[in-house]
Parts: sequence; C-alpha cells; structure tokens
Amino acid sequence: MDISKDLIAASSTPLILAILRRQDNYGYAIIKAIKEISNNEIVWTEGMLYPVLHRLEKDSLIESYWQKSDNGRKRKYYRLKSDGLLELENQKKQWDIVHSALSKEITREIEG
Amino acid sequence: MFDLESNVTAWSDQLRSNGKLSEEDVMELEGHLREQVDELIEKGLMEDEAFLISIKRLGNLNILSKEYSKVNIDDFWKQLLLDSDDPIASKKSRRNVLLIVLFSLLAGTSIRLTTLLGVDIESLTFFKNLSFFILPLIVLFFGIMRGVSKKLISYVLGIFLVTAVIINLYPSYSPNHTEMLTGIHLPIMLWMVTGVAYMGQKWRLGQERMNFIRFTGESIIYGSLIVLGSIVLMLFIVVIFETIAIDISDVVLNYIIIYGGCAVVMVTVYLAETKKSVVENFAPILAKLFSPLFLVVMLAFLSVMVITGKSPFVDRDFLIGFDLMLVLVLGMVLYTISARNIYHKSNIFDYLNVALIVTAIVVDTIALTAIISRLSVYGVSPNKLAALGENILLFINLAGLLWLYIKYFKSKIEFSKIESWQTTYLSVYAIWMAVVVFVFPIIFKFQ
Repeated sequence: MDISKDLIAASSTPLILAILRRQDNYGYAIIKAIKEISNNEIVWTEGMLYPVLHRLEKDSLIESYWQKSDNGRKRKYYRLKSDGLLELENQKKQWDIVHSALSKEITREIEG
Repeated sequence: MFDLESNVTAWSDQLRSNGKLSEEDVMELEGHLREQVDELIEKGLMEDEAFLISIKRLGNLNILSKEYSKVNIDDFWKQLLLDSDDPIASKKSRRNVLLIVLFSLLAGTSIRLTTLLGVDIESLTFFKNLSFFILPLIVLFFGIMRGVSKKLISYVLGIFLVTAVIINLYPSYSPNHTEMLTGIHLPIMLWMVTGVAYMGQKWRLGQERMNFIRFTGESIIYGSLIVLGSIVLMLFIVVIFETIAIDISDVVLNYIIIYGGCAVVMVTVYLAETKKSVVENFAPILAKLFSPLFLVVMLAFLSVMVITGKSPFVDRDFLIGFDLMLVLVLGMVLYTISARNIYHKSNIFDYLNVALIVTAIVVDTIALTAIISRLSVYGVSPNKLAALGENILLFINLAGLLWLYIKYFKSKIEFSKIESWQTTYLSVYAIWMAVVVFVFPIIFKFQ
C-alpha cells in the first residue's frame, strides 16, 4: 500500500537517524536499509534523501566524510552525532505518543 | 548503441547547470546513480533499462534542485572561496589560490622583462605575442586543477610552442595587414587550443565542448565585473595619493596595469571554474534577458534600412561592427541552448531563438553581398578575404541551426542534435582561425 507523502516526510528524519545509529552509512545504502526494514512498503523518491541528509547535517545532528570503497568508488558517509542521538530519543518518544494514542482510538472505533 | 558513460555525464551536467547544487552534491548523486545502475545490471538488465529505471527512482531533477536550494541557500557564497571542512578539499583550494598568485606574478614578470628588453608594449609584435604570456599558464593551471593527463598538456603546450616559433619567423611588410590579422585571430585560435586542456581527454565529446562554451561565457562575465572593480581601485589609488600631494608616476601605474591585468585573467579563470556550481550561471540569464531586445533592434534596423534604401556596409568599420553583432547573436542563441534542459518540450525561448537566427541570416546575407561587391570593385585584400571567410562560416552555422530547429519543431530529431551541431562546428572555426594565422601571411606575401 502507498504511504502518504506527509507521513513519509515526517518519518524521514527518525528513520535516517535510526539507521545511522547502527553504523556510519552512505546514501545508497541508507535507501536500501529503509526498503529492507519496511518490507519495501516505504519507497522514497531516492534523490530526496540527500536534501534531508544535508538539512540534518546543517542542524548538526549528523556529520559527513568521503571514503573510498573497495571498488575504488568514492562514497560520502554520514555519522550520527551526539545531538542526533538525543534527537532520535526525542522523536522516538513523540512517535510512541502518537502511536499509542492512534492505536487506542482506532482499535476502539473499529471494535465499535 | 546506448552509451552509459555519456548518459550519466549528461545527467550530472544537467544537475550542475541548474546551479543549485555544489560539485560535492552532484558527485554524491552521481555516485548513487552509478551504484543503482550497477546493481540493476548485475540483476540482468540492459544498460539503457538500468539507466532509465535509476534516474526515474532518483526523481525529477527540477524538484530535486529546488529541495537542495531550500537547504543550501545561505551556504552558497561561503563555498565560493572558503572550502568545506574536508581537509583534502581545503588543501586543494589553498594550493589553487597559491598557483593563481604564482602564475599572475610569472605572467606579469615575463611581460615586464620583455618590455625592459626594448619591445614596445604598444607595438604589433607585442600585440600578436600577448597570448603566449598568459594562455600557457592557464593550460598548466587547468592541467593541475582538473587533473588532465600530462601527455595531453604537453601536446597543447607543444602546439603553443610551434605556433609561437612560426608566427615570429614570418616577416611582416608594410602595411602589415596580415600581421594585424594574426594578432586578432591568434588569441581566439589559442583559446580554443586552451579549451582542449580544459576539456581533457574527452575534448571531442559534445558535452565537454558545451561545458567549455559555458565556461567561456561565464569567464567573459566574471572578467568584465573584475575589470570594472579594478578600474575603480585604480582611480581610487590615483586620487588618494594626489590628496597627499604624491604623484603616482607612470612607471608605478605601468607595473600595476601589467601585473593587475595578468592577475585579472588568472583570477577570472579560477573563479569561473570554481564557482560554476555554486551560483546560478549568468551567461544564460543575460542571454535570455537580451535576446528579445536584440531581436527588436535588428528588426528595427533592417526595416529602416529597407525604407531609406541606405546600406551601412559600404564602410569597412560598419562591416566589422556587424560581424561582432552576429557573433554576439550567435553567442546568445548558444547560451540559451546550453542552459536548456534537453528533455524539455519546446518553449517560448526556442521560438525566440529561431526568430533571432532568421534575422541574423538576413543581416549576414546583406553583409555577404556587400563584401563580395567590395571584393569585385576593389580587388582582393587580406582583410576582405578574412571577413568573407568569417561571414560564410557564420552563415553556414546559422543556416545549420535554423535547419535543425525546423526539423526539431517537426519532431523529427532530438534537441541534442542541435547541441551537437554547434559543438562540432567549433572545430570549423578553429581551423579557419588557423588558416588566417598561418596561411594568409604566405598568400599575401607577409604584407
């Protein structure tokens, strides 16, 4: 099923931060990781990942560095900074609140 | 046959030409594209399928650029001279600035030494050799900055050397017409040779040539701005020293002009190259702004000429003025084309371009008739023959553009055909310049 644009936009920051918490990573692999953990339900216009990454970098939540891969290709890696970790905790709490409120209300409505 | 490499380059160039992404952003996105393409090919797709799917997944480039500009907007000016925190990048940028300073001093000193050896700075000999003081350094700079192979650079410098020897071995007899023609045509020819160093190994590719055309246009605009700034500075220097009753002698001013002039050229080249992706390109904007105005002026001029029955081409100076205008019109058409997204449908500027081209062809036809009638009345002279050649070249160029545009409007060809006609035709100009520089003096017995 297609997830609405607004929801994709709202979830992009915590998703990226969470993936970077595992390990430093580069754009293409981040996209793949997101597809994987969402069972291919969350599909981005891939180019749009990069402006988001840049905004996060500008807000000092993540930082970047270039590194050569084994096949000789230069990749720009992103690393989670301590502020980013705090922001991730913060976002997680917000999502938990929204999630629990939604699930209570929606399940009650359906059960009638 | 689908050429993956040139398609990837075309895609990145289009991102660049939007002007909203830094070079690093473009590299990052290009990297993503390549990883995606590779993975799809590994899964068994053909190259063209893999490419098309990958660019589709990356999304619409215009929307993407807009997203970038939202994030990047206040960073752009910082990127111009101060580089990112990346230690390698900032080391490179420091090295480049150092090279600029060094090369400016080198060029200035070599000119100064030449004048000290007794060559008059206003002489024709100096004028025709001027390119050799600066362009080889620019070639070297491109070689270092853009990582062009040493072999190619040495070929280019070899052409410079051979040219310098030949044109200085040629004698020159009064009234020195051919020497003057050499002085005018040589810098243009050598600039195109310098272009090979800019484009590197891929100098035959249309995309690369278009980049060089863009670069040339941006350089002219940057150069003009820097010259304006320098004039203000010079005036300021003279005025403040006058207030304390010290007369800046011509000698000091001469030094400033020689070294300053060299520095202006080097800094212009450096800025035009460095900033190319930092701010929006100016040449296409100016071209779009002025092409309607030029069209109106040319049409007005043509109709006045028809009504009054006066031909301006009787006078030689007018002829030169008109040729310059034709070149300018061609430039505007070119820069509008260069900034155009080749995947877009035709728009108002395409029709405007065609109107400009048609008017320019009419003007050129009148100029050609005037030159031919002058040739038949006054006989052959180097200047007239050079003018004839240039007008014929312009005519063919414009006619070719018109023909391809018509075919494009009829949806018979892709827009990229128009681009490749123009970039291929550059070689014709280079060859003609070489003919004027090397063959004309011999034909006209060095007069």
